[in-house]
Amino acid sequence: MNAEGMLRRKRLQSLLLAGISWPCFMGQFAYAQRMNSGSLLSFDDMVQPIVQGAKIFKKDVQIEAPILADNGSLVPLQVTVQSAMTDLDHVTHVYLLSQRNPVTQMAVFHLGPRNGRAIVSTRVRLAGTQELVALARLSNGEFRYKQMEIIVTESACVDAS
Amino acid sequence: MKSNRQPTGQSTEREGIDRRHFLKVSGTTSAGMSLGFFLPERAQAADTPQLNVWVEIEPNDTIVIRYARAEMGQGSMTSAPMIIAEELDADWKKVRVEYATAHENLRTKRAYGDMASVGSRTIRNSQEYLRKAGATAREMLVAAAAQKWNVPVTECKAAMSKVTHIATKRSFTYGQLAAEAAKLEAPKTVQLKDPKTWTIIGTSIPRVDLPDIVVGKRQYGIDTQLPGMLHAAVAACPVFNGKVKSLDASKVENRRGIVKVLNLGDFVAVVADNWWRAKEALREVSVDWDVGEHGTLSSAAILSHFKAGMEQTELAVARNDGNTTEALSKAAKVVEADYFTPYLAHATMEPMVCTAWLQGDKLEVWSSSQNPEATLAVSAATAGVPQSNVKVHPVQLGGGLGRKSPQDFTKQAVMIAKAMAGKPVKMLWTREEEIQHGLYRPASLMRFKAGLNASGKVEALHIRVSAPSILATLLKLPLPRGVDGQAVACFNDHPYDIPNSLVDYAQRNTNVPVGFWRTVGHSQNPFGRECFIDELALAAGKDPVAFRLDMLPNNEKSKRDRGILEAVTKAAGWGSQLPNGVFRGVAETEGYGSWTACVCEVSVNAKNEVKIHRVVIGIDPGYAVNPDNIVAQFQGSVVHGLTAIFWGENTIKEGRVEQSNFHDYRMMRLNEMPKVEVVIAPTGGFWGGVGEPAQAPLAPALVNAISAAMGKRIRSLPLKNHGLTLKA
Repeated sequence: MNAEGMLRRKRLQSLLLAGISWPCFMGQFAYAQRMNSGSLLSFDDMVQPIVQGAKIFKKDVQIEAPILADNGSLVPLQVTVQSAMTDLDHVTHVYLLSQRNPVTQMAVFHLGPRNGRAIVSTRVRLAGTQELVALARLSNGEFRYKQMEIIVTESACVDAS
Repeated sequence: MKSNRQPTGQSTEREGIDRRHFLKVSGTTSAGMSLGFFLPERAQAADTPQLNVWVEIEPNDTIVIRYARAEMGQGSMTSAPMIIAEELDADWKKVRVEYATAHENLRTKRAYGDMASVGSRTIRNSQEYLRKAGATAREMLVAAAAQKWNVPVTECKAAMSKVTHIATKRSFTYGQLAAEAAKLEAPKTVQLKDPKTWTIIGTSIPRVDLPDIVVGKRQYGIDTQLPGMLHAAVAACPVFNGKVKSLDASKVENRRGIVKVLNLGDFVAVVADNWWRAKEALREVSVDWDVGEHGTLSSAAILSHFKAGMEQTELAVARNDGNTTEALSKAAKVVEADYFTPYLAHATMEPMVCTAWLQGDKLEVWSSSQNPEATLAVSAATAGVPQSNVKVHPVQLGGGLGRKSPQDFTKQAVMIAKAMAGKPVKMLWTREEEIQHGLYRPASLMRFKAGLNASGKVEALHIRVSAPSILATLLKLPLPRGVDGQAVACFNDHPYDIPNSLVDYAQRNTNVPVGFWRTVGHSQNPFGRECFIDELALAAGKDPVAFRLDMLPNNEKSKRDRGILEAVTKAAGWGSQLPNGVFRGVAETEGYGSWTACVCEVSVNAKNEVKIHRVVIGIDPGYAVNPDNIVAQFQGSVVHGLTAIFWGENTIKEGRVEQSNFHDYRMMRLNEMPKVEVVIAPTGGFWGGVGEPAQAPLAPALVNAISAAMGKRIRSLPLKNHGLTLKA
């Protein structure tokens, strides 16, 4: 990874740290996954590296975010997962996945029963209009998710042609 | 007319205007194709059949077609509806065009799609869904007629806003059918017309907004008037990104009309009962700025920063065909040259202007914006209200040129409105603010190195660009492989048949904010590329046109480059005898999905006065939707382009832009305008952009002609720095 990439990672980390609402959050690590081109990933490409064939359902997860973001550099997001958050039944991880960013896995939140609620909020940087996935891993190994399209209204001829 | 054209009351009152009453009022006060400027929420009006979000047909046969982007003089407000009308088989005389709004787009989950007028992409990006919308509505009208007559739809035909039963010659007008058609389910697939049968697309229809512009009725952002409205003048730190340390407004606080002096962190605003008072008071507010670390930045320092980029070891590679380094080392002849283009402010005729009104958690905005959705997003975020509580009222722009797509000014206006909650406030920039706080076309240093073989064929071309990145700094986008496509535009995709081509890029950002200036990368890079190609033609001892054609094989990749070059040089009579002292220059470019070429004829006298005898400029846009509008766009582009070529330059001293108004940031004058001949050579089969491509070949064609006339190569802009002036 080059220096710019490192800086970007640091920035992402500090953004995350700054943006997290404290009571909802224990762990605090976002890490870079693999570098991708600017093209759009399929849903499976986004989630399967994490889900790896486990059961996954489109329910119980909510994303609160603006539908329109003028600039992708700072988009506020809140993810809520319906969960009892007990020792036996809780959310262990919340992943924020990007369809277009160079780094697909924008953030991972580690949670446990002591969080009480499975709510995380943060700010992410989006490389253009895309469909995000908020993916929650449950303590029983299953996954829940929600997709949301966020329009980055960057008014520009981003293509050079 | 005033009542419905101008925002006059509370938003609730406006929404509550009874639609019939509204139509009655507008019907009695404006004849013909009036463009309703300020309308109640039409989509909520129950009594006019809506066939889809784009098409509404009134019982009197008036067809309302929605236009979902901005109009800033580029004419898309006419061309885009023409595309719908074509497939709808509408009688254009009965069409009225109305704006769709960003808040309606949000409410309908973006039924209107992208609303931005940028990147010459209104037609090319929306033609497909617009055609489908028109065709869908037409099929629903035909189905409604067939149902009424109880005949198969195949026996019915739509034309000129009527459906006719062919056998019996019975017919219904669209107005008679609309109510029933609107109840039908929209067909899932529709047959689009064969371009050969088009009757509206391809015709020169006058712009729908022209009559109102001519009589001064058209409402621009700057015309917004609201009851009890306050006015704001603003000043940001003269050094970019500086902050207000402190301010002393004691001199002006008690002046007549002054309502408030605001320290808003990045800028200062004076709010008054009229704008002149606000602006005059602002001059006497003494502000202590924290200019940060950039208070010593100069144009010379920026140039050395760019020059250092040329020697940078790690560069982003934008194109790498063959082995350019090796081919250059083996070349019989190597030609090398540096080109430079300066920073440019937009200088839109109407400076940044935005009116905002925050009432509780409801916000209304009238912004001269190229991107109403971005306006909505910025406004909501700045005011801290939900997006669904924001209304973005469409207004015409007094020019945009790319400056009004980023929403820095809307943000300022909403910050002021938030500080003055409950009152509508119109914020207007001064010309000085506009020129000194632009999002400038980046300055760029380009280095070209080419190797020719013994017979004059170009074997290798290396282009290195050292320039700021708009995408990385303004949009904060990650750059694929470190390449800003705009910085290397027309280099990374040059069409010439050169076996070894290397394009690399040093991203050299400075504290001068950069943005999208009409034609963006193509406003500067073609100047370097096409002038350098002329240098190579000279080195090879060949005619510039023949030299280019030799490098443009007639294959799929370069046939359109070749085609437009041939069409324009033919129209210009390239090769024919010219009067003594008159010289020609040529250039060919591609961009925004279209192909363009230009030939200029100039003479330069002993006093270094350049007389432009003729500009022949042409485009292959695939389909030419409204040819007369293309001519207008090209003429306008020549004005804009020549202004930049001769005088356009923003220089930096002590961290600030030195120019401030038209005395030192000169515009072209009416009597200086040369004759412009526009060649429209559409080859069909694709939809290209029109608003920006014209500027691309203009600078190189003109400078090639001037260089030929002077016998001396010019490699930087503007021309005033070479002692050249434009002769009227």
